[in-house]
Amino acid sequence: GSAGAGQWRDGAELYQKVCGHCHEANVGPVLKGRGLPPEYIQRVVRMGNRAMPAFRPTEIDDATLADVARRISTGAVLA
Amino acid sequence: MVSKSKALPKGVSAADFDKVVREIRAIVGDEHVVVDEDKLAPYRKIMMPVPDEQHELSASVTPDGVEQIQRIMKVANKYRVPVYPISTGKNLGYGSAAPVQRGQIVMDLRRMNRIIEVDPELCTALVEPGVTYQQLYDYLQEHKLPLWFSCPAPSAIAGPVGNMVDRGVGYTPYGEHFMFSCGMEVVLADGQVLRTGMGAMENSNTWQVFKWGYGPTLDGMFTQSNYGVVTKMGMWLMPAPPDFRPFCIQYPNEADITKIVEALRPLRIAMVIPNAVVIAHTLWEAPCTPVKRADYYTGPGAIPDEAVKKIQADHNIGAWNVYAGLYGTKETNDANWKIIEAVAAGTGGKIITQEASKGSQALQYRFDLMKGKPNLGEFGLYNWRGGGGSIWFAPVSQAKGAETLKQMQMAKTILAKYGFDYVGEFIVGWRDMHHVIDLLYDRSNPEQMQKAYACYDELLHTFAKEGYGMYRANTAFAEKVAATYGPVKRDVEKRLKKALDPNNIIAPGRCGISL
Repeated sequence: GSAGAGQWRDGAELYQKVCGHCHEANVGPVLKGRGLPPEYIQRVVRMGNRAMPAFRPTEIDDATLADVARRISTGAVLA
Repeated sequence: MVSKSKALPKGVSAADFDKVVREIRAIVGDEHVVVDEDKLAPYRKIMMPVPDEQHELSASVTPDGVEQIQRIMKVANKYRVPVYPISTGKNLGYGSAAPVQRGQIVMDLRRMNRIIEVDPELCTALVEPGVTYQQLYDYLQEHKLPLWFSCPAPSAIAGPVGNMVDRGVGYTPYGEHFMFSCGMEVVLADGQVLRTGMGAMENSNTWQVFKWGYGPTLDGMFTQSNYGVVTKMGMWLMPAPPDFRPFCIQYPNEADITKIVEALRPLRIAMVIPNAVVIAHTLWEAPCTPVKRADYYTGPGAIPDEAVKKIQADHNIGAWNVYAGLYGTKETNDANWKIIEAVAAGTGGKIITQEASKGSQALQYRFDLMKGKPNLGEFGLYNWRGGGGSIWFAPVSQAKGAETLKQMQMAKTILAKYGFDYVGEFIVGWRDMHHVIDLLYDRSNPEQMQKAYACYDELLHTFAKEGYGMYRANTAFAEKVAATYGPVKRDVEKRLKKALDPNNIIAPGRCGISL
């Protein structure tokens, strides 16, 4: 859970606790259903992109980031 | 070996830097020291109007606890290499997670994120630097504890220690965060661990309940400073009130700020309204509604007043929008509500209740923040112009109407000179205002970047001439802001630095303090 050090249960939990605060709230663009490549999502999270802040591995570990990117790109279950 | 082009700590050779990295790796493990430039990217993202290179880090280290930090201090002293501690590292608009000076090693404490204790009877918590407000919120929910904390707008991803250490603010009755902290643990440059207040005593159980301890009270010295690495912080939590009644009062004209402040001050000082009230300008509300600047104005210069008026009319936004809440029982809130209604009627304000606010994003996120519920609704601000440029210009003001109007007009005039919009709000203390202005610009546009730098510079110095100082500032302007507070204060700060950190290893340059 979010009590871990940048460790999340899975990408769905991460999406709900972090990404969704903007991407489900008219702050960031909608991500669902766009088939965005996972590599692109991972890169934007690590680099940040204009208005969007960057996130460090201590906040979002590599494995959970890969999982959320996969879920977003394939339309798998998100929170 | 590191490459020649890499940012190295000031005055440290590549060979010594390699030794530092090797010795720190032996302490924390290889994977917890990063020197690869690609992997350091997330630490480099800044919103300030200066080149990324100016705040480039040489490495990051992510210790797992106090003991590792103590050992890192030894290495830092040996090679005189500076470390820049961050907690959650979400100091957006103030420098984010990047160091104050190029080449410093960022000490990222996000892995240290234990909620050590929550006492539901005394309503206190003791947390580590990596704890986020979202994490604390989830913890309180899971344990069914009716306790509220106060958080800033980036709540979901920011945290109480980092925010308090920069003396940030929130929006509940506990909104002045440093005031509601109680007890700190600090690793000093020499590796000693200091606990402030009652925490200095062995077997004490009053660390989180009595702030001062005995003798000099040192907590304040470790906020907005570089005299130690804060590794634990105690904080007071607010019991969830039986009845919470948030509301907004909208006013039609910019000049109304005078009567708003005059009407609110007595209510705030007498604690009829107990929370950190916000008085937000139209252009703060608009991007959080959300409304795009480009839909109303694409010409040169600042957005004209007529376009702002049009936004107000189209989206039911006031020129000023007062956000406040009543916290109590139904009976006490009913009684105080009559006062609120009378004040609104007497000043020409339109009240919007929680029921009437349904469907408004801008109102919803405010009402959530006033009860300490994390969200990121306010990040809509960064879409006003887009492009990732934002610095907070945040002068302190008296809570007097004439003063707030004067500051607003001064800021608006200077911003317009550089083509920027007045996007501001007043966060109302008992007697003070944090006048928070978001200097928003397109960071991908080099001309706007230069103008934003020059604009902040002029704002800072014009306000200083009128006797107005910043409560907090971004790392690129740390030195200039420190200079506005005069030489005696800076000399004392330097003498303290020399005594506590003679090798200048903890964040030299933070708030202008360096040997």
